[in-house]
Amino acid sequence: MRELNVEALARVEGDGGITVTLDGKKVKSVTLDVHEGPRLIEQLVRGMTPEDDITVIPRICAICTLSHRYSALRGLEKALGIDPPEKTKITRELMMLGENVESNSLHTFLLALPDFLGYPSAVAMLNDYADDVKRALRLKKFGNHVMAVTSGRIVHGENPVIGGFGKYPTKKALDEIKLKSHELVPDAVRDVELFASLEYPTYSEAEMLFMSVNAPKNQFGFAGESILISNGKEVNVEDYKKLTNERVVSHSFAKRSLYQDKPFTVGANARLINMGKRLDGQAKDLFNEHYSEDWLKNPLYNNLAQAIEMLWSLEHMPDIADQVASMEDPPIELAKRKNGSGTGAVEAPRGTLYHHYDVKDGLIEAADIITPTAQNLDDIERHMKLTAERMLADGKNDDEVRLGLEMVARAYDPCISCATHLVTLKRL
Amino acid sequence: MHKLRDAPGDAEAALRRQIEDLAGNGRVYVLGLGNTDRADDGAGVLVALALKKLFPSYSYSEHDGVEGIVLDISEKNEHATVLFVDAADMKLDPGSIKIIPRQDIRETEITTHRVAVALMASILERAGKTAAIICIQPMTIEFRGRVSGPVRSTINRLVSVLSQTIGSRP
Repeated sequence: MRELNVEALARVEGDGGITVTLDGKKVKSVTLDVHEGPRLIEQLVRGMTPEDDITVIPRICAICTLSHRYSALRGLEKALGIDPPEKTKITRELMMLGENVESNSLHTFLLALPDFLGYPSAVAMLNDYADDVKRALRLKKFGNHVMAVTSGRIVHGENPVIGGFGKYPTKKALDEIKLKSHELVPDAVRDVELFASLEYPTYSEAEMLFMSVNAPKNQFGFAGESILISNGKEVNVEDYKKLTNERVVSHSFAKRSLYQDKPFTVGANARLINMGKRLDGQAKDLFNEHYSEDWLKNPLYNNLAQAIEMLWSLEHMPDIADQVASMEDPPIELAKRKNGSGTGAVEAPRGTLYHHYDVKDGLIEAADIITPTAQNLDDIERHMKLTAERMLADGKNDDEVRLGLEMVARAYDPCISCATHLVTLKRL
Repeated sequence: MHKLRDAPGDAEAALRRQIEDLAGNGRVYVLGLGNTDRADDGAGVLVALALKKLFPSYSYSEHDGVEGIVLDISEKNEHATVLFVDAADMKLDPGSIKIIPRQDIRETEITTHRVAVALMASILERAGKTAAIICIQPMTIEFRGRVSGPVRSTINRLVSVLSQTIGSRP
């Protein structure tokens, strides 16, 4: 949807904004307002069959479409007593790698990087960084390609189904993925080096708590049956409500989450903080080289984490493609029961995504979806408030404060992330 | 501004002339944007999908990954014009259309789902291509709603105009 103001266009896919109210040099309040009305999809799917649910549910988001589908599949398969075949599990890993490359390339380069380099947008950056922008587009194109090969199309693919895949990728398609992912590794390395070379402002620093899934077999990955917390605790995904404690606030339609009454962060930085020691290849080397204690208190490092994670995804693809190619196509695993409950947890590019389902007589009785942005909102506001207070105390002007706040919000890669002008400063 | 919804004939001819002037003698590509889950918001995609049946190498939609298409076109050694088509709230009558040239496409597009149109248009321009956006005024963007009558009519007529333009090129 666009808005046209005489000569200007604005596209809004998630309507939100940040309002910072200042009284002199004091910050009265910081609110991240999500204006977009709730889509009520949890209510919409009640009474649907699980098969219909996985078609409707990904409509929540066009960029995390496969994460939503995968999380729903994991929750529903548990509810229906299905243990999907090994080839299904590995092909789903491949589709998640594609989504990770697609989303992280877009966010790091085209949304976050202009702030760090002092450009108002990626368009303005083109004159000096055309090669970098094109490299990001190549990576995004390839991520989209992997998503299309595995899920059937780039957006809202219908190929991943309950208990398996409608059709598995061909040997030829897998060989192409293997070849191309290998070719793009140097591009991803360059991205990591670029993000590692940036100066990360320290205004937002504060003690943080991070959550991510615990990928199985002590490997790095994007799905798991338990949640790792950076305080050393581990919680089964079926107990997700103890972690997320959803609530609503008056200034936003989006739900919020607190863990033990404290905000927390999910996302690429959380994944690397909790599972970074499990990385391999150049991703491991670069993580070891660039990781520091600063990551534990500064959300801006999520950008560097995304770049490292994108490299790992590309490096991991050839092996996964080989594994998929080496297996016979299994039949779709059918439901063992018509009544049950189950929770799926996957790592969408912007953080942990939960889908919980109660199924009765073969139909959805209840659905509960908790998105990464909802979990991050309280921490975004907390870090923005600190940033505003410290920048004002440091004598920064309104434009500098506005940019500093936008950088913090964008670092979280929220679904309502926007190119510019996210922040409204109000003076009393 | 063209009111294709209620003035076929002259308005169509005027629109085609405007597109022909914009494109010169080069290839014309159509890239349809939008969300077909939201009724009229999917107008651009529907235009592109209809044209794709006639010109599979010259019409693409959001479903094809438009950034990759733009990258490919920018690297082709040919004179080309890329027409993005999308729904836009211009506060006009439903079904009205307006062509916005590249220099007037605002840079501050808010999107997390794909690269901003302004960036794609700038990449094309740097590669010597022409870019513009054809905006269609929606009537409804209801989730899972149907495309409205005025916008459906405009989609059909725009497909007719653009198919003539694309088809007339070498």
